[in-house]
Order: sequence, then C-alpha cells, then structure tokens
Amino acid sequence: MSTLVSALPRRPSWTVLELPRVAYPEALALQHRLLARRLEGTLSDDALVILEHFPVFTLGRRGGSEHLKVSQEFLEAHGIAVIPAERGGNITYHGPGQLILYPLVDLQRHRLAVTDYVARLEEVMIRLAARWGVHAERRPENRGVWVGVKKLGSVGIAVRKHIAFHGLAFNAAVDLTPFSWIDPCGLSGVQMTSLSRETGKPVSMARIRADAKQCIETVFGVALNAGNPDAFLEPKPHASSNPYPKASLDPDPASARA
Amino acid sequence: MKPIEDLTFPEDLLYAQDHEWIRMENGSAVIGISDYAQDQLGDIVYVELPSVGQTFAKGEAFGTVESVKAVSELYMPIGGEVSAVNESLGDSPEKVNQDPYQDGWMIQITPQDPSEKDALMAKDAYLEMLKGLS
Repeated sequence: MSTLVSALPRRPSWTVLELPRVAYPEALALQHRLLARRLEGTLSDDALVILEHFPVFTLGRRGGSEHLKVSQEFLEAHGIAVIPAERGGNITYHGPGQLILYPLVDLQRHRLAVTDYVARLEEVMIRLAARWGVHAERRPENRGVWVGVKKLGSVGIAVRKHIAFHGLAFNAAVDLTPFSWIDPCGLSGVQMTSLSRETGKPVSMARIRADAKQCIETVFGVALNAGNPDAFLEPKPHASSNPYPKASLDPDPASARA
Repeated sequence: MKPIEDLTFPEDLLYAQDHEWIRMENGSAVIGISDYAQDQLGDIVYVELPSVGQTFAKGEAFGTVESVKAVSELYMPIGGEVSAVNESLGDSPEKVNQDPYQDGWMIQITPQDPSEKDALMAKDAYLEMLKGLS
C-alpha cells in the first residue's frame, strides 16, 4: 500500500486566496503576513493570491520614481499613490482590469531556480493570452511577455529564505492611460498593450481569473484549493474599500466589491 | 542552469545552507555567494550591500541581489561587523556571476564569535546538500 502511494506522487497543492479589488498596501500586508507564517513554520502550504488593485504606481527595490513623467499634484488630482515595494524591476502601474497573481511559493520545495520560476510566470501569461487567441512571447532583451513590441504582462518578485513572493501583472482589460505617465519598467519608449486591446473585445475578469488558475495548475503541475483570505486579512471594517476615491480608471465598475 | 558537476566549489571555503560562502583570513571573514547560487539567480544586475561598521547576526539579511526581475536576500553565514564591502559591484554586478569566489566577493566582516563557523559546511558536505536539492 505505502509503496503504491509513493509510486504515484500527488500533485502539490497551493491554497488560493482570491480577493476582488484590493488597495496595494493591504495586499502587501497580506503577503507579508503569509510570508511570516511560512517562515515561522505555522503555514506549510504554498499560496496563490489572486486580485486586482485600485490604481497605484509601485516602485521596485531600486526605486524608479525618476521614471515618473507627471507631477505629484497631477497624481493627487487623479487619486493615485506611488508606493515603494521590495520586488525586482522598476516603476509600474497597477489598476482595475489588470490581473494580479502573487504566488507565495517555496522555490526549494519545487526544485525551481529563480530563473526557472520567472520563466514559468511568463509561461502562465503566454498560455493565458493564447486562450484568448493572442500570441504573446518572451523577448530576449527584457523579461515579461510581449505582443510584438508591446508589453502585455510583467513579472517582479522577491525571494526571502527561498520563499518567492510578489509575482505577475497581466493587462487583461486595464485602462492603459496611466502607463503613459511613466516609462514602464524604467524603459523609455515601451508601449503597453492589453488583452482587450489586442482582441478588440471586452474581456471578462471572471473568465480571466478562471483561465489563469488553469494555466497555473498546468505550468506548475499543482492542484489549486480554495482557501479563505479573510483568515489572513487584517480585521478592519472596510478592508477593501478604495482609499483613492477620486480614481476613475475603472473599465468595469460592476466588478468592484461594494 | 548547469549540472552541479559543472559548478566550482573551492576547498578552502566554508558554505552555508543559504548558499553563502566564507573565507577566513587572519581573523576576518570574506563573504560571497556560491557558484550554485549565482547560477540559480541568473544574470545579476544589482547588488545592494551594507555599510562598513554595520553589525549583523548569523542568519540575518545583510543585502540583496537583483536578477531577472527578482530581488533575493543575502544572509550572514556567521555574525559580525562589516569591515569592508566590494564597492566595485556597484558598477559591475556581473562579477558575481563571472567570478563568485574572487572578484565577486561581497563583504568582509570581523566575526563576533568565530566558533559560529563550526556549523558551516566544508565543500563535500555542501555538495551533498546540493545533490539533495536538485
């Protein structure tokens, strides 16, 4: 019996914590809480956080505010904050209609080098785009996934004691305007694109999320199990309310949590 | 990624579980990351190191390396006070990939408790550990 079981290795399981739209600092705190639990040994499973962010610019570990092309007053008028993060990469934009995946994954357990892991995150986005009939690919000079010379999705991760966190951002139906206010990833002249722009059709975020989960399962060879994100969120009355009420870059207001 | 047989691990170093190495030199210790670590990380584009005079305990993060859009922390194999840092990595972080044991060294420290090095691994033990990981 035991021989039979060990001969048929079970696919590792990741706990999925799915949230609607979350302010960046709140999502960062969630990741830090999960990471702390992993490092202290009170959480053994890898996790996958799936969400969208309210409009925000984030900086990489090395900064990137020099690639912001608009003034602080302009950003305040649009209700968009600039927040430092410890991930790799440079300045980027997150907002409604962009799918965010934050896998908290033990790279050593999965026998994954950092290079392999980043390549797999790209593979998830390439397969996700393919499901919508869009041919995305890697480019040798830059990471992320591209449709021709336009960037469709980005990767930025951090690794602490061989646990990877942060993750990928996939432009599904996001309003691309705020990308024009920065040099995305610190690269001048980079054009961004989205799945809805490439397909010329509206993109359902519910379907994107479902597709992304299937792509994760295939690319990482794991089984996803639904977990309860409330167990890891800071208990506060309006946990997911928008702290930037002026923000209006919402392609799909109906999908925001009321 | 290279097979372990194609990576280099000098005999005169001690290795930590998190893939840092130390070289003891007249009471001080030079620290860097192993050939295995640089190979796992890929092309290193930025190395963030501490300042001279800072003190870190064994296992504490003393800096980060950024490669392929990934920021990875670096950990002290033994505790001590930083006495020198490899400033040349600021302009040439690729030295860590090209020559992790010489030009790609990261910091030099004055150990707090030199006996902490007894918990580190010699080449053979480190190689055994790596075989378990691959």
